[in-house]
Amino acid sequence: MRTLLISLLAAIAVSMPALADDAPEPTAERSALDAEVQSLRREVVDLNRDLFMLEEDLLFPASTQIAVFVSMDIGTFFALDSVQIKVDDKEVANYLYTDRELEALKRGGVHRIWLGNLKAGEHEVVAFFTGKGTHERDYKRGTTLKVEKGVGAKYVELKISDRVRKLQPEFVVRVWE
Amino acid sequence: MDSRNHRGRLAARLLLAVAIATTTLPASASEGTAAPDFALSSTAGTNYRLSEHRGEVVALVFWASWCGDCRRELERFERLRRTYGSVGLVVLGVNLDQEPERAAALAGAAGIGYPVLLDSGKNVSKTYRADDLPLIVLIDRQGAVRARHDALDEREERGLLVNLRDLIDE
Repeated sequence: MRTLLISLLAAIAVSMPALADDAPEPTAERSALDAEVQSLRREVVDLNRDLFMLEEDLLFPASTQIAVFVSMDIGTFFALDSVQIKVDDKEVANYLYTDRELEALKRGGVHRIWLGNLKAGEHEVVAFFTGKGTHERDYKRGTTLKVEKGVGAKYVELKISDRVRKLQPEFVVRVWE
Repeated sequence: MDSRNHRGRLAARLLLAVAIATTTLPASASEGTAAPDFALSSTAGTNYRLSEHRGEVVALVFWASWCGDCRRELERFERLRRTYGSVGLVVLGVNLDQEPERAAALAGAAGIGYPVLLDSGKNVSKTYRADDLPLIVLIDRQGAVRARHDALDEREERGLLVNLRDLIDE
């Protein structure tokens, strides 16, 4: 919906110079119009940001918000294929990673795999990592975390890193308040 | 106070927009609507996400090994890929077989060089309403569905080519 609104506003903003092109304008007027268009474009960007924040505030208020992120550190011993997230034994996300996305993760990118709402109290978050381990062997590993959801937003980071000593991948779970 | 008023107005606009949109939601994957995004594994083990091909013209070819007309379309789109691949045409085969080996064997026999994505769970084919096979879905560079075709005869093939060239030229 937000995309639709923004597209509409962007289309209006983009069409402004096109309209201006139809009739030749004196230079001063043209530069004033350009400035106006630039200002309109800035407003569209600001409105997009406000709408995004508002949408998140409305759908995922801090009192119930929980987000799960996936990050990667090196990843020599594990080629990630997909991550499945279960909360209280219910699947909430199942994400297949493309080569481009893996490259972004290896360069330090962080992927928000799930954003949801949980009521206050204890919850079980289970993450299953599927991919290829060393020697191209299929590898599936699960990790479980008990999350105590309080009044503030909760952020869970699932980090895939290398345990060099054991030549094995390591899956680290961190909770951020 | 101003900020609260501003946010209040924004909230009202957002809710109004949602209300309007929910009364006029278009059918999924119909012509003119945004192509629903998906990610699938290919027979080669590589994962593909449709949205990563934004900026290119994408032809989705839904097929299965038990579909008689499908092989002709697979071969047709291999020829089209060779002709128009360099100017931005991406062909993705979406196979509905339960066994990936059958899909890989048939694709190999047909000599196709584009990825064959495995939709054994039928989630993507349901979203794209691939009730009759083969189904060809043409997606423009902005990610909107522009045309849907089933098995093509000679006249329809000409129509497809016109559609395809228009999309490539956009």
